[in-house]
Amino acid sequence: MESKEELNRIRSAQTEWEKENAAEFQKERKKEFFTHSGFPAKRIYTPVDLEEKGFDYLKDLGFPGDYPYTRGVNPSMYRRFIWGMAKYTGFPTPEESNKFWRSQVAAGQNILSIAYDLPTQLGYDPDHPLAEGEVGRVGISMCSLRDWETALSGIDLSKVLVNQVMNAAGAVGIASHIAMAEKQGVDLARLRGTCQNDIIKEYTARGNYVYPPKHALRLVCDALHYCGERMPSYRPLEVCGQHLGEKGATPLHEAAHCLANAFTYLQSAVDRGVDIDTVAPGLNFFTGIRHTGFFEEIAKHRAIRRVYARVLKEKFGAKNPRSLICRLVPAQGGIELHREQYLNNIARIAICAVEASLSGVQAMALASYDEQFGIPTVEANINTIRCQQIVAYETGIPDVVDPLAGSYFVEWLTSEFEEGIMKELANVERIGGVLKGIEQGYFQRKYAEDAYRWQKAFEKGEMMRVGVNCFREEEESRPVRVYRCDPNIEERRVAEVKELRRSRDNGRVKQALEEIKKRASADSGVDNNLMPPIIEAVKAYATTGEICDVLRGVWGEYEEHQII
Amino acid sequence: MDQTRPIRVLLAKPGLDGHDRGVIVVAMALRDAGMEVIYTGRHQSAEQIAEAAIQEDVDVVGLSSLADAHGVVVPKIIRLLRQKGGGNIPVVLGGFIQPEDVPSLKEAGVAGVFGIGSKLDDIVAFIRGIGKTGAASQKR
Repeated sequence: MESKEELNRIRSAQTEWEKENAAEFQKERKKEFFTHSGFPAKRIYTPVDLEEKGFDYLKDLGFPGDYPYTRGVNPSMYRRFIWGMAKYTGFPTPEESNKFWRSQVAAGQNILSIAYDLPTQLGYDPDHPLAEGEVGRVGISMCSLRDWETALSGIDLSKVLVNQVMNAAGAVGIASHIAMAEKQGVDLARLRGTCQNDIIKEYTARGNYVYPPKHALRLVCDALHYCGERMPSYRPLEVCGQHLGEKGATPLHEAAHCLANAFTYLQSAVDRGVDIDTVAPGLNFFTGIRHTGFFEEIAKHRAIRRVYARVLKEKFGAKNPRSLICRLVPAQGGIELHREQYLNNIARIAICAVEASLSGVQAMALASYDEQFGIPTVEANINTIRCQQIVAYETGIPDVVDPLAGSYFVEWLTSEFEEGIMKELANVERIGGVLKGIEQGYFQRKYAEDAYRWQKAFEKGEMMRVGVNCFREEEESRPVRVYRCDPNIEERRVAEVKELRRSRDNGRVKQALEEIKKRASADSGVDNNLMPPIIEAVKAYATTGEICDVLRGVWGEYEEHQII
Repeated sequence: MDQTRPIRVLLAKPGLDGHDRGVIVVAMALRDAGMEVIYTGRHQSAEQIAEAAIQEDVDVVGLSSLADAHGVVVPKIIRLLRQKGGGNIPVVLGGFIQPEDVPSLKEAGVAGVFGIGSKLDDIVAFIRGIGKTGAASQKR
């Protein structure tokens, strides 16, 4: 760092420069500039700004792969392995998804991120009355191990990492993944995969909850504990900030609450008597990424890594370095993609790929240019993978680890983010923690306010979106192909699940479901884990709906807190 | 009934779709415009929504759909409203609606469709228009 004298010289030179150019600065586009989270974006940043933050290279940055991991979670980052390329996809039936997923794997995608339809996510089989009109509409209808056998046929689970966006029924998703891997002969100790399983943000943001939070949290802890002891390469929890952002949360609120949620899961496991170093390595972070705050997103990701490492070490007393590292998988949502001049979305996707690579993430799941028209088409999905491949193999960005480190602005903003996150974590603690916050509508209200402010700024044109509220064109084009779910699929899926129930060993199913009921009725604890009976039920071809119905019967259903 | 009663709007999320950012933002805008908003919350069945509309004596029903289930559930809600004597309550739909779905939705009785990219001012103006001149106000 610069000496005191040097800093003073910079300070007076800057004052001089500001005086000389005062007339020029009067003509700037705006009087003040702010990031989306409300951080000031000053004209320039210098070593003086870092000095004011108390920035200390070794303490705040260190080296890649070293605590506090600001510069990345491993020493060589993309010089060794390019980030994982995921794509959130699911077509209505296991057959159609299988065909598509195989083509994606052939195109170089190495992570399959399963998009389920809503009945599956909420634990209703296709023939449940509440599934009417919803089967296969927003993803794959996949309600039993038999569907897994079809959907994953020809896909080697020892090579392709499967990620599931399954939350309320996350335990069933993990159990199915385990059963499928065993069928393929994959050693569970080496099985790589993730399940989102982040139920907290379903209450605060996304809305796909089933049981009351207390019981749902228990189920997440069961998965963390079970997998933590047996499956070191598996991540049974992917704490999700992205859905908070899509709900409206600013990048700061997203980062702070995503961390608050992670700490809630970990504390809950520790309170139960599980060692922090058994469960913490099971976490991934599914953050949001927007092209609309280039440096803000980079600073956010660097700050999340730093805060997480510090809290795990200082508050949780984690010893294993694998517990301290925050593995980031940013995902782009649809909110910042537009129908108008839809091909412009390709630029927005590519910019996110650049941001994520400069943030030092482990994998990314970006959106498709036709996302605003329906389930993305095959061409659009491939295009998203190509955008990432261009950044990975053509730009040279991956050749230097954390190339923006030392930028006065990026380091200042990273520190600013860290302070903001710590302040918001303290706010959450003050209201009594995350579960209390859900009851009081604290998070829901915050995101609603953030979303309303965003909407008004957008409609007033204060926030410019090219082709949407400026640079518009008279005639709007539409993609040649837009995917629509065939409504007849519902009937077929209903017939299939009925056939499954006829052809399996129903005695074994009944016994497995009774065991689930017994354990769910007893208190939670290290000796009463629900994962083993759920795995047994899945192997017996019990359906997701049947397993969830048993738990609904014991625990009841959540009724959301209304904020309006 | 009181002539100066503000327009009462029932906003609802039918089916399993959890995306409520849009409906909440619309609720805030309608409130700021002086209307009374009753929001059902998520995961509501067609029966629950029709029942709530009658019970709450609303002038307009606003439905939010972002998971492509509107083709089935929206006509069902309109049918139920008619059966329960609320056939004069106009129904407005917003969310992720494919343009090619609009004609059949209108045919089923939807008064207005506000797809993605719709502006709050336009939604407020439309609801004010149908809330005041719609059949529901005739009973006042």
